[in-house]
Amino acid sequence: MTEEKKKASYDALVIGGGIAGGEAALNMANNGFTVLLIEKDLSIGGKMIHLSKVFPTLDCSACITTPKVSEISRHPLITIYTGSEVRNINRLSDTLFEADIIKHPRYVTEEDCTGCQLCEQACPVVVSDQYQFGFVGRKAAYIPFSIASPRVAAIDIENCTLCGACEKACPTKCIDFTQQSIEYLVRVKTVIIATGFNLFDPLKIPRFGYGRYKNVITAMEMERQLAPTRPFNTVLRPGDGKVPDRLAYVLCTGSRDVTIGNPICSQICCMYSIKQAQLLMGALPMADVTIYYINIRSFGKGFEEFYDQAKGMGVNFVKGKIGLISEKENGNLILRYEDVNANTVKEAEHDLVILATGVVSNPDNASFFTNNSLKLDPFSFICQTDMLASPARTSIEGVFVAGTASGPMDIPDSILSAGAASSEAMSYIISKQ
Amino acid sequence: MNSKIGVYICHCGGNISDYVNVEEVKSAIADEEGVFLAKTTMFACSDATQKEMVEDIKTNELDGLVVASCSPKLHLVTFRAVAERAELNKYNYVHANIREQVSWAHSDDKAGATAKAIQLVKSAIAKVRLAHSLDPIVIPSKKAVAVIGAGVAGMRAAIELADMDCPVTLIEREHFVGGRVSQWDILFTTNQTGKELVTRLYDAIISRENITLLTGAEVVASSGSIGDYTLRVKTTPRYINEMCDPGNLQKAIDACPVEVPDEFNFNITARKAIYHNFPSEYPQYPVIDIKNCTRCGECEKICKSVDFSQEGKLVDIKVGSILMATGFDPYTPSDGEFGYGQFGNVITLPQFKRLVDINDATLKYRGQVIKNIAYIYCVGSRQIEGSESSTGEETRGDGNIASHDISGDNRYCSRYCCTSVIHAAIEASRKFHGLNNYHFTRGIRTYGKQELLYSESLKNGDIYLQSYEDDPPVVYLENGDTMVKINDIMTGRQEVSVKADLVVLVTGMVPRADNSVGSLFKIPKGRDNFFNEIHMKLRPVETVIDGITIAGACQGPKNITESVSSALSAATKSFSYVSKGELELEPIIAVIDGDLCSWCGLCAEACPFDAISMVTKGTKEIAGINNSICKGCGMCLPVCPVNAINLTAYSDRELESMIDALAEQMK
Amino acid sequence: MSLPEKRNARILVFSTEKISDPAIDMAGLLKLHYPPTVYTIAVPCSSGIKPRWIIRAYEKGFDGVFIAADGSDCTYGETCTEKTGQIVSRTHQIMKEKKIDPARLRMAAICSVCSEAFVKQIKSFNQYLLQSLSTSS
Repeated sequence: MTEEKKKASYDALVIGGGIAGGEAALNMANNGFTVLLIEKDLSIGGKMIHLSKVFPTLDCSACITTPKVSEISRHPLITIYTGSEVRNINRLSDTLFEADIIKHPRYVTEEDCTGCQLCEQACPVVVSDQYQFGFVGRKAAYIPFSIASPRVAAIDIENCTLCGACEKACPTKCIDFTQQSIEYLVRVKTVIIATGFNLFDPLKIPRFGYGRYKNVITAMEMERQLAPTRPFNTVLRPGDGKVPDRLAYVLCTGSRDVTIGNPICSQICCMYSIKQAQLLMGALPMADVTIYYINIRSFGKGFEEFYDQAKGMGVNFVKGKIGLISEKENGNLILRYEDVNANTVKEAEHDLVILATGVVSNPDNASFFTNNSLKLDPFSFICQTDMLASPARTSIEGVFVAGTASGPMDIPDSILSAGAASSEAMSYIISKQ
Repeated sequence: MNSKIGVYICHCGGNISDYVNVEEVKSAIADEEGVFLAKTTMFACSDATQKEMVEDIKTNELDGLVVASCSPKLHLVTFRAVAERAELNKYNYVHANIREQVSWAHSDDKAGATAKAIQLVKSAIAKVRLAHSLDPIVIPSKKAVAVIGAGVAGMRAAIELADMDCPVTLIEREHFVGGRVSQWDILFTTNQTGKELVTRLYDAIISRENITLLTGAEVVASSGSIGDYTLRVKTTPRYINEMCDPGNLQKAIDACPVEVPDEFNFNITARKAIYHNFPSEYPQYPVIDIKNCTRCGECEKICKSVDFSQEGKLVDIKVGSILMATGFDPYTPSDGEFGYGQFGNVITLPQFKRLVDINDATLKYRGQVIKNIAYIYCVGSRQIEGSESSTGEETRGDGNIASHDISGDNRYCSRYCCTSVIHAAIEASRKFHGLNNYHFTRGIRTYGKQELLYSESLKNGDIYLQSYEDDPPVVYLENGDTMVKINDIMTGRQEVSVKADLVVLVTGMVPRADNSVGSLFKIPKGRDNFFNEIHMKLRPVETVIDGITIAGACQGPKNITESVSSALSAATKSFSYVSKGELELEPIIAVIDGDLCSWCGLCAEACPFDAISMVTKGTKEIAGINNSICKGCGMCLPVCPVNAINLTAYSDRELESMIDALAEQMK
Repeated sequence: MSLPEKRNARILVFSTEKISDPAIDMAGLLKLHYPPTVYTIAVPCSSGIKPRWIIRAYEKGFDGVFIAADGSDCTYGETCTEKTGQIVSRTHQIMKEKKIDPARLRMAAICSVCSEAFVKQIKSFNQYLLQSLSTSS
């Protein structure tokens, strides 16, 4: 009921606390605008905060993300709601939008939690850790991950047995099982959508065996094994915990493929695979890494040089599409592929296969505006209505798009796109005043 | 010297006190010199404790504050704010990290952890005794930005800044705005032409009162630093008055006897010494190319607007920030590279795009009707090291085979060319019927949604061939015909040859050959020789020169959307330097001891920011620090042969007293 | 007096506020243990450390000094690594003159999440120092 909704107003509403949303929020706040940043997850930082190192400089992703994230979370003009969702936005006039926002209960009073992890130690419930892609377990009372922001506990109420052990352990008495969802009605002058992307679900390509063959994993799962906050101290294949020594990357999994409805190129998979291959050569010096590709798209600043570097390190590049993956009894995998250079169909055995899954749109994009229509492109990314002159503009005046919500992009391009969105949002507010 | 210091030691609800005996720490430091009060607290960061600290500071008039708790990354700002709320300058606060670097790191050794905590707190007390109040360095920042380059990036940045209520001077070296985009016809993703896009932006610029557009203008000198730059701009005259009659002018152009290659069409056509690029060119009146003008006076006779008495001017512009959007040059193939300049029908991609634009019913080049077009990709991009290729050898002494040596310094991929040439081929086929397009590629890179264009091209029936990395395609003459042959990957190394009416070399982007303006500001370049950003992800549009941002293809190859995104980002960044009219800088800077210094210049050499220069003090020459440029890194400190430099808050006295305090128990 | 085998070398670490100090923090967070006789002083940049501070540490009783350098991540410029290297070699010179074993000063680039590397470096440095102390005494 409207009477119960908490009311507030800000200059800008930024939806999505990944690197693009965070950058856009920071740009606006640094120029004196107040920002409400809404993040669905329990931590801001998006996908980037979970990555290992980033191409083409190989600097560590957390090193770049965490200072940004702490700057965002500490900024006096930025208000962050994590575990929150935007239900609906109404455009009332040029610089007046009204947004329904719901903040889901965390069952922990954020302000009082010191991140001491005593609740985690006390909690008897162990479930699979979604932030480590199930490689390890976590408790039902848990801090999402070690560099999360806010670095405070949350109760996974679905798995919690309400035993009360965490409550007893908590020195600040911040665990509160009576927490309810809070609804907000927020008025803002402009909206920036930075909802990011989803990774293609490889179950949609059954011939690659993902989900059936344990040693077929996605690149994001590999990314976690290579990250500084990784679950194990080395790279292990899930089937039997063996250290792999013949790894294969399958590029364009779910991209450039009309049969699964995604004809476009995902723009990042070539490069992240090349990056992982380089990191693997470092982590497992004896291992062979093969990348099966259609075309290598190393187009950005320093990318081609990075590709050359991988070739120089001994990464094996094979031009050819994978037809079928089958599993041997020992868990190894047989890849049937067309070797274009040799013009024949070949088979190769690998002990770990990494699917370089592509970028697909976030289905949330369609749901924010019920009264005004936000135009989407044929792939459900947000349509850039004046792509050349105003790349952040959308079909609704005063609503801008940042980062991969408008299509595949790498990190540098996402950050520039966020710069464009915040710039257009600011000039929009100023010039309408 | 601070002598009324308050020390708070945090339990962190057990996180610290489970491993560190905090009461022992408290009693060990309570009698340190200068300590007025010492307390332990369950949570130093809690609201209640913060209020208690404020109260303590006020009632006891404390002059120093130490909190021993978690990492300063978490709560340094919190406790500095506590100090400020109690009207104690925040630089009189010192943090001791006894959680991450003590209790957690040494949870296996409680006695060791407690001993370490004691020394760390004593060291913080030693530092705070010597601390003193500092005020931020505030410098005025002129709310105005100079945008250099009126291509699509610069124009778009200028509009954005103007809409943020920031005055802009837009400086363009050429006499017409629009840069490269004005040379393109229909642009990919929209059905807009480059001219239309430029016109839209130009209209937006002239409708904004706070943009001053200078064409034919070049920055010749610069002084000052962030917040206060002075640019000296030299304008060259057009020799045409603004109030000109277009009809007469066209006659004057027709009358001009001088013909020179037309750069706008990449020299595939000629123009007069009095010229404009195309009818709707902006500004909408022509210019006299004085270098090639013979002063015959023919135009003057016809058109009264011609005015040879116009003179160049020097103007000084004061701005707080500079946004560089100086663009790129298309790669020019060397003589004979894939037959360029050697065979009559080999042109570059930009030339081809102009050719498609200026031809009407039939596509003709040099009088010959074009049907078969061979596009050779990656010319001037993705070059390989060295020139060891044997293919280079066999070309010598044979005028019928062109060099297909792909060695060179441009290792990078120019990113826009695959999409650009595929789009150009599609548009050419749409405009002229019956074209056969043969693409000699090194792997197509139509990233993202641009892939759809590649699919469209394949549906059109364009033929795609791909060469092996060490075996580029060869252009040669056979019976008077220009042929292109390739060992094609897609068909398993089959040799395929095509008779081409026109060979289009898909040339990439290279940095501007004339980069005098970049050198003027000392903007560093990357290994690709484009301007370099500070950090690709953290600070992608900033340069190490404070207050100067970079946008568009001067930073590296980009398509229009990418250029504009970076231009808008740079506009935001430049705006943030000037929006408040002043800039607050951290007061942690290097300080010169004028008595010790006798100017040797080593510190100036060590400074990565050019913040140090020679100044005279009385009769003596000493080093002077520019407070608004110094970043407080301290790189100048260790190089001084007479130890005349200290860093605020990290002086020898402070550091050495900390070291002494840590080492106290050791001897 | 503590038992000789439990004794650790006394090491002063110069860390940098933005890069290596966060890594040392994270070592604590991950409960990667190292000797509690390792003390850290954070400065803005490793290329601003004065040799006299290092020498002071030995004179006051530290067994070793470890510079946790910014390396290529330095926000103040690419010359950081080189300049920090120069500080180390200049200090080595002074140490030789003062008859202090130059190996008692070590440097390594520690990125902001290089916690494991830091602990590994410190442990091996500690081992070295203990060994050289026992042989020299």
